Amino acid sequence: MIGQTLDHYRIVAQLGEGGMGVVYRARDEVLNRDVALKLLAHGALDKVGSGHLLREAQTASSLSHPNICTIHQVGQTGDDFYVVMELIEGRLLSDLLTTTGLSMEIVTRYGAQIADALAHAHDRGIVHRDLKGSNVMVTAEGRVKVLDFGLATRMEREEISEITLSYDTLESKLVGTLPYMSPEVLRGHKADHLSDLWALGVLLYEAGAGRLPFRGNTGFEVTSAILSEPPPPLPPSVPHGLAAVIQRCLMKEPAERYQRASEVRAALEALQGAVLQSRHPSEETRGPRTLVLRGMEHLTVKNRDVLLLVGTNKGAFLLRSSRDRTKWDVAGPYFHGQGVYAMGYDGRNGRHRLWVSTNSLMWGTFLRSSDDFGRIWTNPLEASIRFPIESGAALKNIWQFCLGRADEPDLLYCGVEPAALFESRDAGESWSLIRGLYDHPQRPRWMPSNGGLFLHTIVPDPGKKERMYVAVSAGGVYRTEDSGSTWQARNNGIRVVFMPEKYPEFGQCVHKIVLHESRPQRLFLQNHWGLYRSDNRGDSWQDIARGVPSDFGFAMLMHPHDADCVFILPVESDEFRCTPEGRLRVYRTRNAGGSWESLERGLPQKGAYETVLRDAFSTDSLDPAGLYFGTRSGKLFQSRDEGKSWKKILEGLPQIVCVKAALIQIDGAPGSRPKPKPTAKRKTPRTKSVRRGKRR
Amino acid sequence: MIEVVFNIPGPLREFTENRSSVRVDVKDGANLREALLVLFAACPGLRDRVLTESAEIRRHVNIFVANEDIRYTGGLATAVRAGAEISIVPAISGGITQCQGMVLRSYH
Repeated sequence: MIGQTLDHYRIVAQLGEGGMGVVYRARDEVLNRDVALKLLAHGALDKVGSGHLLREAQTASSLSHPNICTIHQVGQTGDDFYVVMELIEGRLLSDLLTTTGLSMEIVTRYGAQIADALAHAHDRGIVHRDLKGSNVMVTAEGRVKVLDFGLATRMEREEISEITLSYDTLESKLVGTLPYMSPEVLRGHKADHLSDLWALGVLLYEAGAGRLPFRGNTGFEVTSAILSEPPPPLPPSVPHGLAAVIQRCLMKEPAERYQRASEVRAALEALQGAVLQSRHPSEETRGPRTLVLRGMEHLTVKNRDVLLLVGTNKGAFLLRSSRDRTKWDVAGPYFHGQGVYAMGYDGRNGRHRLWVSTNSLMWGTFLRSSDDFGRIWTNPLEASIRFPIESGAALKNIWQFCLGRADEPDLLYCGVEPAALFESRDAGESWSLIRGLYDHPQRPRWMPSNGGLFLHTIVPDPGKKERMYVAVSAGGVYRTEDSGSTWQARNNGIRVVFMPEKYPEFGQCVHKIVLHESRPQRLFLQNHWGLYRSDNRGDSWQDIARGVPSDFGFAMLMHPHDADCVFILPVESDEFRCTPEGRLRVYRTRNAGGSWESLERGLPQKGAYETVLRDAFSTDSLDPAGLYFGTRSGKLFQSRDEGKSWKKILEGLPQIVCVKAALIQIDGAPGSRPKPKPTAKRKTPRTKSVRRGKRR
Repeated sequence: MIEVVFNIPGPLREFTENRSSVRVDVKDGANLREALLVLFAACPGLRDRVLTESAEIRRHVNIFVANEDIRYTGGLATAVRAGAEISIVPAISGGITQCQGMVLRSYH
């Protein structure tokens, strides 16, 4: 069929195949748009008669609703009947369900949309008759579209009694339909709007429980269950309110069900208001396509929890704990096999959004987000961070994710390889290259460091909107005073060991810069050899490496509450990039670099040749502050007392490249809607706790 | 018009409705670049996984037209014939086993 033309529709590719026929992607040559074209199987027509089908489809084509797939045209050429429909990019709900990953919030939201579609059709006298997961699509934007309204063939009474008495394995065409059929339809009554509501109940049950309510190996078994058995109890992960809606849809006696689809919609919408995590942001802000990760235990994150985002060269892990920070639940690996170098949590403006960059050796680098703490991630069709075509450059990796200032809650930055800065002004929907830096006349003379040529550090000035610092390996520190239009190298006093000129204007291999928001004019810097401080916004730098075993290192961390306190993790040298003397020690200054002291209680002091990379050191900003770092050997360490004592919370991870701690604030966030207390009776599956998990 | 068949590797089938092969029609005399454009129009999501934004085939992605690596047959300008099988193949399957086999241990 590919390449053939039906009427003015040129068939481009096959999209799928079902009991009713084959669906193609086609080009409407007149209106110049892509459509879905369903070519009906001859058998489907024999049974019901073409006139009947045409009438049904014509009636259905009068439906116009955002949650109903629009029928553009019903046609016939020769013996072939076809239905031309809106082309929907997305995934079948049945496919999403088999991945077992839909959160209850999403189930509720999708359910309300399906109910809304049914209400619209029922008001116009149209009954679906074959509602099931494979007849519902979820679009790129998270919108539900119900397919095939009015196209389902009516089953004759004889056929139904044949099914109900069939002790044979289910016929393939019924495998999908029978479990959704209502008791009254199985008894031979005509399908009506109440049998659609039954099917909606089956679908919600399946989405909530991960399995069908009425099951069996033969038609007889399935039918018996539908006719006479109550649905098995729903798992505790299904909130009470949702379970009550499902139960009422699944009343055997039609008169005991909801009597209108709009009632189901209203009940589900009321539940949406009561859920903790999902209401905001809505599907509109979701990425173009979503990905549910299979077979994985997820975190249940509560208000005031501490969240740890851990990126490794082979995937990401998420950890959560209450504020006592003694016990951590672990979930992951997310995106296993891919490098996750940049992670971040955006809790501004009522959001609860995780960001990760995923770097596949084969398939490229993508920025993804999750609004439900990792259950569902965006899976963009197109990369959102991309170099303009005329630059000839291609994205290799995203090294840094950075939030804009709190008073600009939609501002985000990414630092990438090859060295460049990207900015989003719409909370991550779209990104653009900061040309002022990319077109800088010094850029062609930047040199790749050991890890490549990349921009890895972004420090917005908390005091002045237009000012920001970035660090490039190896280009050095650059500062803008005009929101990125122009940039100046700011490396005066920073030594370079790998060039004949030891103090050039630029070309330094800076590893990290930090500042404290209460003293934004003062910066601290870990260099490729050298520790520095600047008291004048980077205009000049002075050496502060007194009392450290090595001034080489990658990671540097600002104390969240003390502007004079900075932590580093020295490594021996650029040749031997491991902790000096095999002792894993954090060093701290409490006088802005005047002196340094070792913090080692609880850290291995023998044979510990570890490396902590530049973004694998983070603080949770509680009081006392919690500190966290991960090693290249996959160990994760924690201090609950600002570095005085440490303990290992995980080991055996792949190489850790990124650690970010975040506090979850769900109530009272500026700009967020009032939300219910986290003590609301919300039961979600517990993730495996580390404490209850394997022990050494 | 002629028909060609693209063989799609497992990791990319989420963008082809789980199909392992996708048939597309291209004009007679088309080259691989034109055939890929038709494929990408039919299956958005593939383009940015197969090509970089500068429209080059990603370094660790190999494309074979009728079992010939296109790096030796003219790259994207390689001609495709009617019925040609075009295979998109990851060049190396970089070590996911490390992660799958690992054990998480805890210390409290």
